[in-house]
Amino acid sequence: MELIFRVNGRSERLELQGHETLLDVLRNDLCLTGTKDGCREGECGACTVLVNGRAVDSCIYAAMAAYDADIETVEGLAKNAGLNSLQNAFAESGGVQCGFCTPGFLMMLTALLDKYPHPDRDLVRDALSGNICRCTGYAQIEEAVARHVEQRSGE
Amino acid sequence: MSQMPKQFISVSSQEEALAQLDAHGEELQILAGGTDLMVQLQQSGQRAQRLLHIENIPGLRNITCNGVTGIGALCTHRQIAESTSLDNYRSLRQAAAQVGGWQTQMVGTIGGNVVNASPAADTLPPLLIHNARVTLVSQSGGSRAVELGRFLLGRRQTDRRHDELVSGITLARRPERGRDCYIKVGRRSATEVAIVGLAACVTPGRDGRTLEDVRLAICSVCPMPKRLYEVEHLMQGEEISEALLEEAGEIMLKHIDPIDDVRASKRYRSMVAPRVLKHAIACCIENVSGDLRPWN
Repeated sequence: MELIFRVNGRSERLELQGHETLLDVLRNDLCLTGTKDGCREGECGACTVLVNGRAVDSCIYAAMAAYDADIETVEGLAKNAGLNSLQNAFAESGGVQCGFCTPGFLMMLTALLDKYPHPDRDLVRDALSGNICRCTGYAQIEEAVARHVEQRSGE
Repeated sequence: MSQMPKQFISVSSQEEALAQLDAHGEELQILAGGTDLMVQLQQSGQRAQRLLHIENIPGLRNITCNGVTGIGALCTHRQIAESTSLDNYRSLRQAAAQVGGWQTQMVGTIGGNVVNASPAADTLPPLLIHNARVTLVSQSGGSRAVELGRFLLGRRQTDRRHDELVSGITLARRPERGRDCYIKVGRRSATEVAIVGLAACVTPGRDGRTLEDVRLAICSVCPMPKRLYEVEHLMQGEEISEALLEEAGEIMLKHIDPIDDVRASKRYRSMVAPRVLKHAIACCIENVSGDLRPWN
């Protein structure tokens, strides 16, 4: 069966069996390995991508359910000019250590900030409750979000 | 439709879904957000079943509040958590906000939570205390509504026929002075499956000391989420006291017979469940009359 969708703005057409997860299609068929394969049961958030703007765990999302949808992955964040402001804030705040969880955090936050441009700390914590990080202790990630929000409102 | 693949059928209207279910219901697994089903499919490795994808059916995502409160089956947990039109059903909003992380809440649906009938389904205790009814539609039989307590037959078993689609849930009117809450105990705040989940709706007596009406339901401690009618009967009309709450906890344990599993031991659940009950009742009461906590 055929899956037609757009990934980071580019149209893709694939032949699938029907039960594949979006995660496997992104990583294996499209070689977009920025999206990480963590728990495969929707617990860790490392595979978070946007489907029509909604942050979903791609490891438990049926690829075929994304038919005709717009998908955004971490590869779509950096533009020609380099990292985007949120990514820079992560780097500057030490929000990246081993880096495995980072794409998931970035995508979840992209969805959050799109809806709530000025989230307070409680909202950020709540929204990130489905993303696990074993290195940073989360403090630097919270700081990165605060830094990003501050910089953006200063622009 | 003719071009759609066999293993995955995506429908864009309720009529289309009902026609598929009428013709092939027994071989079809209904897929909404898939947050439960996709995990099950991957873990069990069962690939034979065909998926009927219903997420794109319009009209099943509405929350209506004209007299009866109705929640479309495809309403997501996040949508419910953020819906101010469900302010009278705070326990349901609280529970929806604790189903997994936001990623799960953004695609997981209330209809899916009900039909999956997981012992740990967070939304079921709040739905049970608000006397929810499940609306099922089929091509041949039209529509029927079943009390949620009767719809749930056992662990992951429901009264849904293969040709039926759950189209929505309706809630009874909340008692006018009643206040409700949902308390969840888990190891991690959000993503964790509950060890104990308890919903309470309490209407305090006008005298400020008695309990006019009490409704309780629990999940994650027994094979099926259920109402705690015996405990409710004990408390109804009684004066709030430490002794009453102690007795309520004991009767609850007698009727739920807590399970032992990977998340917690029977002993732990037996210790924590009565505390959760106490806490839930306190939260309901406090909401009504500030600091009134006669048992402290």
